[in-house]
Amino acid sequence: MKQIFDAIVVGAGPAGCACSFTMAKAGLKTLLVERGKFPGAKNMWGGVFYGPTLNQLFPSFWQEAPVERYIKRHRLSLLTKDASLSAEFTAKKFGKVPYNGFSLFRAKFDRWFAAKAEQAGAILASGLQADDLLWDGNRVAGIKAGGDELPSSAVIACDGVNSFLSEKAGLRDKLSPRDMKQGVKEVIHLPRNLIELRFNLSGEEGIAWEFIGSFTRGIPGGAFIYTNKESLSIGVVVQLSTLAENKIEANDLLEEFKQHSEVATYLAGGKLLEYSAHLIPVAGSAMMPALYTDGFLVAGDAAAFTLTTGLTLEGANFAIASGLAAAETVIRSKQIGDFSQKSLSYYPELLKKSFVLKDLKTFKKAPHFLENPRIYSLYPEIACDLAEKIFTNDGKPRRKIWKLLRKSMERKISFWQVFRDLKKIKKAL
Amino acid sequence: MDIIVCVKQIPDPEIPPSKFKLDIESKKVVPPEGIPPVMNPYDEQAVELALRLKDKYGGKITVLTLGSEATSSIAKHALAMGADEGIVITNKAFEDSDSFSKAYILSQAIKKVGDYDLVLCGRQAADWDEGLVGSIIAENLGLPLVTLAEAVDVANGKLKVKRVILDGYQVFTVPIPAVVTVSNEVGRPRLPSGWGIISASQKQIPVWSVDDIEADSSKTGASAARRKLVKLFIPERERKCEIIERETTAEASIELVDTLIKAGAI
Amino acid sequence: MNPAKVEDKLAVNKFDIDKEVHIRIREDICKKCEEHYCLYACPASCFKITEDHITFSYEGCLECGSCQIVCDKEAVDWALPRGGFGICYQYG
Repeated sequence: MKQIFDAIVVGAGPAGCACSFTMAKAGLKTLLVERGKFPGAKNMWGGVFYGPTLNQLFPSFWQEAPVERYIKRHRLSLLTKDASLSAEFTAKKFGKVPYNGFSLFRAKFDRWFAAKAEQAGAILASGLQADDLLWDGNRVAGIKAGGDELPSSAVIACDGVNSFLSEKAGLRDKLSPRDMKQGVKEVIHLPRNLIELRFNLSGEEGIAWEFIGSFTRGIPGGAFIYTNKESLSIGVVVQLSTLAENKIEANDLLEEFKQHSEVATYLAGGKLLEYSAHLIPVAGSAMMPALYTDGFLVAGDAAAFTLTTGLTLEGANFAIASGLAAAETVIRSKQIGDFSQKSLSYYPELLKKSFVLKDLKTFKKAPHFLENPRIYSLYPEIACDLAEKIFTNDGKPRRKIWKLLRKSMERKISFWQVFRDLKKIKKAL
Repeated sequence: MDIIVCVKQIPDPEIPPSKFKLDIESKKVVPPEGIPPVMNPYDEQAVELALRLKDKYGGKITVLTLGSEATSSIAKHALAMGADEGIVITNKAFEDSDSFSKAYILSQAIKKVGDYDLVLCGRQAADWDEGLVGSIIAENLGLPLVTLAEAVDVANGKLKVKRVILDGYQVFTVPIPAVVTVSNEVGRPRLPSGWGIISASQKQIPVWSVDDIEADSSKTGASAARRKLVKLFIPERERKCEIIERETTAEASIELVDTLIKAGAI
Repeated sequence: MNPAKVEDKLAVNKFDIDKEVHIRIREDICKKCEEHYCLYACPASCFKITEDHITFSYEGCLECGSCQIVCDKEAVDWALPRGGFGICYQYG
């Protein structure tokens, strides 16, 4: 049964599945290797996925893919210890085809996506770990897995944020904790009707609710609650370096968040189904590895293709788009019979044309800007304090809001500093 | 040597206890969401034993399993380990069969496979722990049976089977073909190799139904079951913690021993 | 209600524990380390400290990679468990 593959894709996440699907469909002999017992077994994310890229690949994918709810409402809350200020957005459009975003689970979604690649002709090898690269001189010539050597013309590393393969290919250095956010998440079971009642949803509608505030104790990051069919995904995402330097565990922040009076009522009576954790590369283009070498390409989280804009952390669409670009590159290489570094330089060309590198360039300064600790504690505090002053009726004569704001900021921050931070927003976001 | 191994799919034994659920009404285990069934570990050891014989003497290993088409992942696991062929036997008429009916279905399938020197089964399935199927297959096929084997070898055209007993072992010599049930003393089953997983992934698993194995469907299913399940429940376990504090360690120890004796623990 | 401690949370997860240890720590380095970032970075509380001694248990590892990245002394020999072993998410 030994054979030579046109392409071996390592990792059956969104990048790897999109990549193998496309190559197999074009007739390339494609092997998709996944170390989990099944695709998705090792993967987690916050839980909201925005659909346009996948919709191009599989029109109306939500009809067959295991989606939980479509996101009809977006809510943002600033939390202090004992207050909260929220804004909510909802649009009729979000409740209609093609929808905007969905909540879904990776363990189910990746399995569906990998099955798509399999149906297109890719060979899926689950429970198989790529231990090393196979070299032919300076050229990557396959992988070593399960005690065997598996030769191929191209290897596409879609092996996630910790990508051992791109490290072994010499494309990147050790990762820095400053460039990483750690996400910890709980999936909490609640009966369907209770979810709909508590979050004001009907049918398949869902909410994506993001939080920033005091519960991260000034550590850059935030929290989220997303609704699934019969469960909530709730988690915190915080910068790894600051977490460790301040001797704080992410789980303690999650507990603090869950116990916040504004949050706890939504979770009451829920039962824990799963506790998961993952790293997210957040430094964008600053931490991007070299994307290719002879016979080798990197896509998805492995290439740090994640967009951070403060409120949103988006990786899945970048993963899919980069997987597609890698596939297109390898298909072209197969046609011209050249898998050299020169031939594969087509890959960044494609990425530059797509939103992947364009968006990362646009938001190049965002990661640094978002390290500003004032965003996570001081500003939410001032906002909540101002709101409290506005809404409090203490029987005394009212003062102008402007004066109240000055009072809220007193001894905390100068207008000059706020102005400087605002000016940075313009550059970063 | 051509070997047939009968393997069973069971709920994953690694299911966290909090997620193990029963449907008391239908007396069934509710499969937990997102945890696929696995091959019975004793059967995995039977596959391992078959592979050791194949390594030594060559031949072909056919894996038989009862279930749905989704069960093919269990057969594929055996193929990934190194078995040559996998067959899933499935039919509505087979659902809710007891061990007698299951052994009957497997016996019919074994007859259809035809040429074989040895039939291997795990000593029992880790879900119901009945340990009947192997013995009933031997009875159905009129073949010699050795249970609880930890090793099998061939000598002078006969099988030499090492059987586990308390504090030792027995060695049986039996004619070929025979049925042998395999014990966990065989040791850890091998992990699938890279090429093993790849070739298993590409293989088609044939699905046989009632007609394919010429089974009498009145002998299968819930209506033919000789074993009736009266009640299925998770026993309640009570945990108590008592801290014994005395002036000295000696006094505490004596008190501890007394308490344990009273509780019937020692 | 629900568990707040990591150890109790991990009990609801499904693991296929590999008998081979996939992460090792270099105790000689850990002994001299003052920061012990690993203690806080591990979301599964796999690192424990007793007196001046760091211990690591791999069974509850969620395979996130935080410990290796956060350790600036390269005392964590991090590898993934073998194919098919380790954490097996039902939801993710």
